[in-house]
Amino acid sequence: MNHSLTFTHDEKQASVTVPTNTLLADAARLAGIDIGQPCGGQGRCGRCAVQVTEGQVRRRSTLRLSEADVAQGYALACQTVVEGDAAIYVPPQEKIERRLTTDRVVAEVTVPEDYEYPFSQTVRRVHLTLTPPSMDDQTDDWARLQTAFRLQRRFETVTCSLPLLRTIGSTLRAGDWNVTAIVEISRPSDHQTIRLIDLRPGHEDEYSPLWGAAIDIGTTTVTLWLVDLVTGQVKAQVAEYNGQIARGEDVISRIIYASKNGGADELRQRVLDTINELLERACKRVKLPQGKVTPDQIVKATIAGNTTMMHLFLGIPAASIRLSPFIPAVNHPPALTGREVGLNVNPEAAVDCLPGVASYVGADITAGVLSSGLDSAENVTLFLDVGTNGETVLGNRDWLVTCACSAGPAFEGAGVVNGMRATTGAIEEVWINSDTLEPTYRVIGGGKPKGICGSGLIALLSEAFLTGVIDKGGNVKLDAPSPRVREGAHGGEYVVAWGKETESGEDIVLTRVDIDNLLRAKAAIYAGFTVLAENVGIPLESVDKVLVGGSFGKYINVEKAVQIGLLPDMEWSRFEFLGNTSVKGAYLALLDWRKRERISEIAKRMTYIELSADNSFYEAFTSALFLPHTDLNKFPSVAEALEKSNS
Amino acid sequence: MPIEIPKDKWPGSIRTVTIGATSAEGGTRAKTVTVGGGTTMPYLHFEAPTPNKPAIAIEIKSRKPEDWSPLLAEVWGAAMADPAQWAKKAEEAGADLLVLALTVEDSPEDAVKAVKSVLGATGLPLIVWGPGQAEKDNELLVAVAEAAKGERLVLGICEDKNYRTIVATAMANGHLVQARAPMDVNLSKQLNILISDMGMPKDRILMDPTTGALGYGMEYGYSVMERLRLAALQGDAMTQFPMIVTPGFEAWKTKEAKVGEGIPEAWGDWKARAIHWETLTALALVESGADIVVLRHPESVKRVKDAIGELVVA
Ligand code: FES
Repeated sequence: MNHSLTFTHDEKQASVTVPTNTLLADAARLAGIDIGQPCGGQGRCGRCAVQVTEGQVRRRSTLRLSEADVAQGYALACQTVVEGDAAIYVPPQEKIERRLTTDRVVAEVTVPEDYEYPFSQTVRRVHLTLTPPSMDDQTDDWARLQTAFRLQRRFETVTCSLPLLRTIGSTLRAGDWNVTAIVEISRPSDHQTIRLIDLRPGHEDEYSPLWGAAIDIGTTTVTLWLVDLVTGQVKAQVAEYNGQIARGEDVISRIIYASKNGGADELRQRVLDTINELLERACKRVKLPQGKVTPDQIVKATIAGNTTMMHLFLGIPAASIRLSPFIPAVNHPPALTGREVGLNVNPEAAVDCLPGVASYVGADITAGVLSSGLDSAENVTLFLDVGTNGETVLGNRDWLVTCACSAGPAFEGAGVVNGMRATTGAIEEVWINSDTLEPTYRVIGGGKPKGICGSGLIALLSEAFLTGVIDKGGNVKLDAPSPRVREGAHGGEYVVAWGKETESGEDIVLTRVDIDNLLRAKAAIYAGFTVLAENVGIPLESVDKVLVGGSFGKYINVEKAVQIGLLPDMEWSRFEFLGNTSVKGAYLALLDWRKRERISEIAKRMTYIELSADNSFYEAFTSALFLPHTDLNKFPSVAEALEKSNS
Repeated sequence: MPIEIPKDKWPGSIRTVTIGATSAEGGTRAKTVTVGGGTTMPYLHFEAPTPNKPAIAIEIKSRKPEDWSPLLAEVWGAAMADPAQWAKKAEEAGADLLVLALTVEDSPEDAVKAVKSVLGATGLPLIVWGPGQAEKDNELLVAVAEAAKGERLVLGICEDKNYRTIVATAMANGHLVQARAPMDVNLSKQLNILISDMGMPKDRILMDPTTGALGYGMEYGYSVMERLRLAALQGDAMTQFPMIVTPGFEAWKTKEAKVGEGIPEAWGDWKARAIHWETLTALALVESGADIVVLRHPESVKRVKDAIGELVVA
């Protein structure tokens, strides 16, 4: 029997007549509409979704669609056949991608609802009008300023550095005894003691921005948010590889380098250069009617980072972190200033280094726990940081246990031949057609690809595995029937993009060495949380939510991450992707002193478990060094997917 | 008062694997060797008998090895220069089967010739090893596999980075493979999965967990083998393959066995020490569940054989 179908796409309509049981994808092609089928029409990717607005179809599979989607008529064009006359809407790609049940996108940063400047903020702008001195009033400038603070603001004690003190007289006069003071409340609880950060002539607009920076010093990636402390809004987000990478990929090799002659100074300088460069870049991103923003206008910086990064940044010897009994020099650094630490912010700026727990659980994790909300979760929640140090926290509002394992930088795109950070030009998603082994990819910013970022690597590894480009051990199957599978300089490789499509003109490939690095990274992370859960006697299935953090992109496809054995095999709905939780925690602490105090409490509450105490981590690691895992029973959904792709 | 000995009942067992094919089975071997089949930890006769005795293979080479101990050169003599003669002598020395190790100098034609001459000289089943360089292994073993189609040779050595070609040619020509992983239960299991994923029948895989000689990590190898056997008995299908290990190769690498000069007098007689070293290494591995031990010295073969006889009969 024949049926007539009407397709609507791009505001145009096209009709065809086709027999019963024709695939919607085929019918669309007859109607002149090409519905892309990245996975080769296998029902794996969900990218071919269309909406049946009228009429009768039969869906063979709806794997990628939610029930609500199906109720609204959504169907996979590659898995759905015609059973009667029908009207079909072919939506634009972006619209489909947003609907997929497997994709987790980081939420946009919003100012916390309870943020209230100046009450939440320790740094404030204060307008003062001083009585000019006269022959009758012979009070000195500094005492005059102190008096004004006391009488006009009830700040009893004011401290000030010598370099700033040297400028007070001229500033007071330049402003004709009207000044704007930027002050830091030293103890938010008493509000009487302040430190002078800056004194500016005249009365500045009260609502004009007051600049702060939230910084996460990652082993691999440094991330910086430039924040207007008055509104609480994030005005620029920038990131760059940590300049220390050139001197070692992981914290251990950095510590060793630092203990060599001059090594510590060099590493400190390298990370300062990276941050100072980011400060410039962030400031340039902000366009204001009042003029340019420069780093020296930044009056407060809150810094998160693992314990080693914090030590190296502050120039504190880190050697003891590496040696038994693994004691850092400092877990809770004192309040510091821009001048002391060497940042190109205002020299008097308040620099707040967040507290850590132990040598291998630093402020990046305490900040991450705060921003993930784990410390107030009712049910048992797992928080994974898919980063170089693979930190994991398990717990809820009553208890928190944590561990760390060296995963390496592969998911941040470092240590991978064509890896890159998740910025413009990065391939962030890949599908491989299982018949032709041809890939379809999506590039951040939409232009020509320059490399592959973390989320792209996860997708690529999973697709290569499911389509048989590589075996479960990660070996490239050189006998696979495609010119994209070839022998490269480092063993087998798969060509994701030919030179003619790429920015540099060179092929973008995934090599055997890359695969090994990715496998090691995912195995370490998986082993870390499984052993942690075992240690506290919590079966993974009873974990209510899995919160995934990491600076590998704005997005993660949880199904792909499960397929490579990075995440545990559970319903997709239990996963949440939070992006860089560390910088987000630093941001919250930058804004609100109550959040800052919560981080200190979290640091006190966390129990650290040392994984190297016995053999169990190594055992778990080698068994996870396989796709998806040596024990396939732990990954029933992947076993099923494999069976399907083999049949 | 009679004491009741507690017995374990395991859900799993070791697979039975047969090496070599007689003319009735499409090969030319006078006999075949069957190993595996165990249903308990090794030699717990009160739980179950040992269905197949561990077998002893003697290792010979396609060319006279220059780096072997003078003690081995002395006992094998001129036969070492001719694989066919060497094979005959090895059979006389009591080998249940042979390992023929090819060398990098061999061309595929040389390799085929050596294999044919060994097959012609004895009726024992044969294991053939490549020289241990991925490309060369593949080149030689493919030629050998085709030339000896149907003989149920064991081809080796498959490792996780190089197994596909060897497995494919073994499958196509009716041979078996030896799968070696570096002393780790998970890695052994992974390689077995990779090989099975290619479609290799499970009764044609031997696993080689790698071992060390006495004093050189043997106890580590021992415990890995023990754990593989436990996993197999517990029902893990991917560890249920018979195990082949190479105590001869390992023992004759050690200074204690290899060197006769410039060593403390307290070490005693060189030859006695060397043979002890090989024998003790092999026996420990047999006790931990080895199904095939590959040896080099005829005297060790004799001693290990006697000991196995006692273990199995007892
Ligand atoms: S799901 Fe239809 S093409 Fe991938």
